[in-house]
Amino acid sequence: MPLFGKSQKSPQELVRSLKEALGAVVKGQAGEKKADKATEDVSKNLSAIKTILYGAGDQEPQSELVAQLSQEIYNTHILLTLVQQLPRIDFEGRKDVVAIFNNLLRRQIGSRTPTVEYIVTKQEILFDLMKGYENQEIALNCGMMLRECCRYEALAKIMLFSPEFYSFFDYVEVSTFDIASDAFSTFKELLVKHKMLSADFLENNYEKVFTSYQRLLNSENYVTRRQALKLLGELLLDRHNFTTMTRYISNPENLKLMMTMLREKSRNIQFEAFHVFKVFVANPNKPKPILDILLRNKDKLVDFLTKFHTERSDDEQFNDEKAYLIKQIKELKADETSTS
Amino acid sequence: MAGHEMVHNAMYAPHEYDAGISSVDQISFLNGEDDIPRITRIDSAEVVYRAHRRAKLVGKYLMGDILGEGSYGKVKEALDTETLQRRAIKIIKRRKLRKINNGEQNVKREIQLLKRLKHRHIIDLSDLLENEEKQKMYMIMEYCVGELQELLEAAPDKRFPIFQAHRYFRQLVEGLEYLHSQGIVHKDIKPGNLLLSTEEILKITDLGVAEAIDAFARDDTCHTSQGTPAFQPPEIANGLESFSGFKVDIWSSGVTLYNMTTGVYPFEGDNIFKLFENIGKGQYQIPDGVEDNLKDLLTGMLQYEAANRIALEDIKKHDWVRRKHPVTPGFVAFKPIQGHEDMLRGFTVIPYLEDLHFHNSEEEEDEDYEDHYYSNMINTHPHAEPAVAGAQNSNNCESHEAEKKKKRKTKSGLLSSCHPS
Repeated sequence: MPLFGKSQKSPQELVRSLKEALGAVVKGQAGEKKADKATEDVSKNLSAIKTILYGAGDQEPQSELVAQLSQEIYNTHILLTLVQQLPRIDFEGRKDVVAIFNNLLRRQIGSRTPTVEYIVTKQEILFDLMKGYENQEIALNCGMMLRECCRYEALAKIMLFSPEFYSFFDYVEVSTFDIASDAFSTFKELLVKHKMLSADFLENNYEKVFTSYQRLLNSENYVTRRQALKLLGELLLDRHNFTTMTRYISNPENLKLMMTMLREKSRNIQFEAFHVFKVFVANPNKPKPILDILLRNKDKLVDFLTKFHTERSDDEQFNDEKAYLIKQIKELKADETSTS
Repeated sequence: MAGHEMVHNAMYAPHEYDAGISSVDQISFLNGEDDIPRITRIDSAEVVYRAHRRAKLVGKYLMGDILGEGSYGKVKEALDTETLQRRAIKIIKRRKLRKINNGEQNVKREIQLLKRLKHRHIIDLSDLLENEEKQKMYMIMEYCVGELQELLEAAPDKRFPIFQAHRYFRQLVEGLEYLHSQGIVHKDIKPGNLLLSTEEILKITDLGVAEAIDAFARDDTCHTSQGTPAFQPPEIANGLESFSGFKVDIWSSGVTLYNMTTGVYPFEGDNIFKLFENIGKGQYQIPDGVEDNLKDLLTGMLQYEAANRIALEDIKKHDWVRRKHPVTPGFVAFKPIQGHEDMLRGFTVIPYLEDLHFHNSEEEEDEDYEDHYYSNMINTHPHAEPAVAGAQNSNNCESHEAEKKKKRKTKSGLLSSCHPS
């Protein structure tokens, strides 16, 4: 028993009382006295749960209490309720939910991560979190929890291979800038964090992913366009995605798009496009349609590249690459068709 | 040789000395101290140090003490006077470089690779300066406290407690995964090439013998290796013509982990021929006391056939790697740099900063020496954001500082070239 303050509730009691309060919040109408009391109870209980997980002040959390608490949380499926009722929880309460959720996720027993294992059996939690991007009020809270989930391959896998993943192509384009950016960083994390997983995902869902991706590259929104182009370059140049890269650079439509982007108004976009364009040209086994396009535009391309970003004289690597591309294009011959 | 490294305590020595021979030193004047008895307090040996405590600017970097010495030249601590970031500067003497096998080529390759890499666990090359006249190159990198090798040597039994080894190994795996994703084989992974930042973040360094695999090559076949013998896999010890590059790094990381956890090497030999013979046979023992889990991982990483060697992806999933290891007593911390007393390896540029701003001596105004440094690091990362224009804004105060610095630089140039070393 602590010397000061009121006597502590046991973890089981805390979770039970949180659950009841949440139930009351759902039932009640805002403004009603009862509902207000319930909201307050939810926050209080959340704060108490957080204290058990993080410890109070200098006090380390007690592992026995943490174990009881986690068990109770899994048994009552309260994580799902919390995520679903997040819009009804007040500002501080939401922050506590994020803190509780992320702490539980990181919990480890030996090489096991029990919360991750639990969420694998309760995947709605992930999908509801993803849906959170549709609600301005909770979008950033959900983003924080989602990115914590991304760190675990098992959870990333569920999200990547779900139909819900494709909602990200909408979320990254929403008009609220901070939400769009947050969604983009989650989106990116899913695609780059677990290399083998995402390589497998991109290979097996190539058509669907890149059809959607095309939309981002053509977005009206400058930030989306630029971020998407940059990420595309990173994905294609990652060795894990070799198969995807080969496929991407064999499609003449993709080459045309990059050539258009090389001439975009924004110099930053031009520059990012250059780093994707170079892969098409450097490919030693160019398929005929690609070669045809390059041949048809040979003189124009050489001319264009010679004048391209000439002010970057300090950037040795860029200039080397540019010189290499110009040389490659100059030496292109019609009979040099693909061997593969 | 070691003389000029042992400077530490004598932070005020230069001033004291100056106070004796020239006008009144600002600090001692402010302190109201008499300068006559102070002369007697000076050890004659300290007079020699005087030149070394003088502020020396290389470009915008104010040089501090020596952090280490490699075959190519010294590594010094420095301060970026514009951003106030703590840096380490690798000074490469071209003349020395020419005498080393593949020296120039290796440095060039390292720079090229480092410029395009950006990752939490890869050393960051932030700037590159050249001085044509002196035939020197300056690689400006993020500051690190020291190498894992140094830590290991400071440890009892030359090994880390499991939790500490685990902490570093996990970070090594992450850095390696990034390198491989960029098609780069490091080829010289060992504790001597793993640095720790002040936040204990591991940084893979020394890409001098690394190889970038062609982006369109189907696999990671390599043909050459110049890595450290004790860390080389059987395929290299046996002189195979071609081998999987990525698996070389897995092997060396395995030897590194073996070494960090046991304090010994799986393969040894009185000379390189014996060593390679032993590696070539592939027979090794894991000492008693290594837990089964770790044994299993080590065995996986030190598989004789590269094809059977565990992949990075599976290392990450290995039970020993995923497990949380309890913190046990015996954490190994850095010792002070040799000749220094500072346990925490604090910032060594401060005395030089004081010299730069407070020291005004008039006796050597006659030197006229101008250093020319060429930077060629602007916009290096292909995806770098445009530089912040604000950095170039200067106000009166700054330009005044710049004037001062210029003056100092003019003086320090010649002096620094006549070290008694």
